[in-house]
Amino acid sequence: MPAIEVQRQTLPILGNPNQGARFYNPDLPASEPFVPGHRTCAGCGPSIQYRMTSKASGDNTILVGPTGCMYVANSSYLCTPYNVPWAHTQIGSAGSFTAGVAAAYEAMIRKGKYKGTFPNVICEAGDGSASDIGLASISGALYRNHDCLIICYDNEQYANTGIQASSRTPYGGMTTFSPPGPKVPEAKTLYPKDLARMMAAGHPHCYVATASVGYPIDLMNKVRKGLNHKGAAYLMIYTPCQKGFVYETPRSIDLGRLVVECGLYPMWEWNPEKREYDYSFRPQTMRPVAEYLKLQGRFGHLHAEHIANLQKFANQQWQMMGVQLPEALIKSADPKNQVNMAASAEAEAVAQTL
Amino acid sequence: MATAMETIKKKTVRINGCVASAQAAKYADVDVIAAYPIRPYTATMMALAQMVANGELDAEYIVADSEHSQLSIAHGASSSGARVFTGSSGVGVQFAYELYSPISGSRMPVQMMIADRTLDPPGDFGSEHTDALSTRDMGWLMGWSCDAQEAFDNHLMAFRIGEDRRVLLPQMVCQDGFFVSHITTDVELPDPGQVKEFLPPYKHPYPLDPRRPVSHGPQIMPEQGPPLQLERARAMEGCMPVIEEIHEEFARIFGRRYDAWLEEYKTDDAEIVFFLQGGHAVTARFAINHMREKGMKVGMVRLRTIRPYPTERVCETLSRFKVVGVIETNMGLGSVSSGGSLYAEAAAALYESPKRPLIMSFMAGMGGEAIVLKEFYWMAQKMIDAQKRGKIEKRTHWVGFEE
Repeated sequence: MPAIEVQRQTLPILGNPNQGARFYNPDLPASEPFVPGHRTCAGCGPSIQYRMTSKASGDNTILVGPTGCMYVANSSYLCTPYNVPWAHTQIGSAGSFTAGVAAAYEAMIRKGKYKGTFPNVICEAGDGSASDIGLASISGALYRNHDCLIICYDNEQYANTGIQASSRTPYGGMTTFSPPGPKVPEAKTLYPKDLARMMAAGHPHCYVATASVGYPIDLMNKVRKGLNHKGAAYLMIYTPCQKGFVYETPRSIDLGRLVVECGLYPMWEWNPEKREYDYSFRPQTMRPVAEYLKLQGRFGHLHAEHIANLQKFANQQWQMMGVQLPEALIKSADPKNQVNMAASAEAEAVAQTL
Repeated sequence: MATAMETIKKKTVRINGCVASAQAAKYADVDVIAAYPIRPYTATMMALAQMVANGELDAEYIVADSEHSQLSIAHGASSSGARVFTGSSGVGVQFAYELYSPISGSRMPVQMMIADRTLDPPGDFGSEHTDALSTRDMGWLMGWSCDAQEAFDNHLMAFRIGEDRRVLLPQMVCQDGFFVSHITTDVELPDPGQVKEFLPPYKHPYPLDPRRPVSHGPQIMPEQGPPLQLERARAMEGCMPVIEEIHEEFARIFGRRYDAWLEEYKTDDAEIVFFLQGGHAVTARFAINHMREKGMKVGMVRLRTIRPYPTERVCETLSRFKVVGVIETNMGLGSVSSGGSLYAEAAAALYESPKRPLIMSFMAGMGGEAIVLKEFYWMAQKMIDAQKRGKIEKRTHWVGFEE
């Protein structure tokens, strides 16, 4: 029997006339594959991301959910928030299960066993799955170039297990596996794994991008670009976690902007055709890291030198994107120009009694 | 279908167990294949790769990044409605361990071929059944073939059984590494029309299909667990008549008849029997023939399907004899017999028998060594001694390490 040609979807890119602006009125698709009724925390960054992502992909979509917050808190037996097919898989199976779904549809459509357009196959992996236990499986799926989109909703920790450090937890971030103490005043001593660049460098035929819930239209367009790209795509999205970052609930989107504005979450796209990075995204303002850190309890223990270290790290990120550093940011990388977090003494005391 | 019978084109080929498994996957027209190399099962995937490259089989052939990924790929593809084939050996089987329960729990009829290999340490290519047996309680249908023809047949039957709506369970179709996987014998390959008649296309009732959205495997509360586990247990128990029915149907279409559960060899007047699984049965038959010539009343009972365990059949059958010698070929370190795991199950099956035989366990074929004729004679002597004594000397004998 002759093979049947696989028909694929092409999703239009949304108009984004005022990128970076604080207020605008976007023209969004009506479909809601991810509906209310789940059990995530108020202000949950990952679930905000989930809604945007699935809205961008539409109804002809299959979602894969490796173990993580977006499995445990989202899906309750007999009551799940997914209007499209969704399957749980093991935390280490993010890329592999997704590859299986994509491969099944390739074969079934080609062999006439499924009549329809190739679905958008999206994996929603937390950063624990994506940067640690499921890294090889995701790399495998990207390398083999299955037609799928793998998303890392990056809340910089294992959150549903009770806030433990992952390879994405930033330097200085307090988690229950990286608490501050007299011997380790900065808490997390390691810098985060540069996961998205690793994916781009290692799988240059894939569309790879970073995004943040602070910029919804940009995020949704990156989802659509990833889905339209024939082959594998990878998206790493900053999704703050109120429970783990310890901030005021309404500030999730705010943090999503601040993290970009202070240079701790570089926004870029990897163009697989040109084989080059696109750094054209520019936030409206640039800010010192302290403005982002001071809103979060997880950084409350930091001393001046630690904040300076983070500023140094942010400055390196700006430079990697070819951004000229303002004098103020260079100065901020000097501990002499930083002060301890207001709550640092108390934060240490609290951490030690836990 | 008398007219169809006339046009049947069977052919006999000379292939080994690994290639027989690959042929079965081809005849089953699998959609997705997840491969990862480890000896000795690798030859199956090599054969399938060539079939795909030749255009003999239209399937997505995925070279996975690990066995864990192999099984996850298989899970995802099966969940989407594809017929899936994967496989492994030894430590590879164990690297994928996490996935066995999720796959059977989501009732996905993934098929996995196992060519047994010892577990490390140290690295050894030989065959021991511990690899697959260690997963025996994870909700997979499981059984051993003793030669390449039976392997081919078991693969086809397993697809049919596992995909039956009354069953919906994954299947481990096992064969001894090397003794079956790498021994070349004559295998009769059927006419594709026969396979078409026997094995209908795979249709899962609730696949991941955007036209009919479903959620697979959402989080549950503790009280929601037991009903789901009970359902899986019932599926395992309830599939026994289906397995028998499908073996009958197989015999009708292909002309080869297997007892679904046990093969008996020269047991009519036997007083002592070997109880084993897999390829060593071939040697056992020869040994029994030799011993029969000397007038010894010895026979063999071979377990063909270990999951679901045919408790009643094992009990009835083994109760007919005076002494049962379980040949393990697997490790059950610190287990009830301090030997392998087959003993415990056979003994438990016999517990309610009014006429229990003496039962003992032999650690033979370990490390992938052949069980040679004189070892069968030695084991038979131990059984005869026990029969005379009316009592076993001890539960487990390590064959080759005792006088």
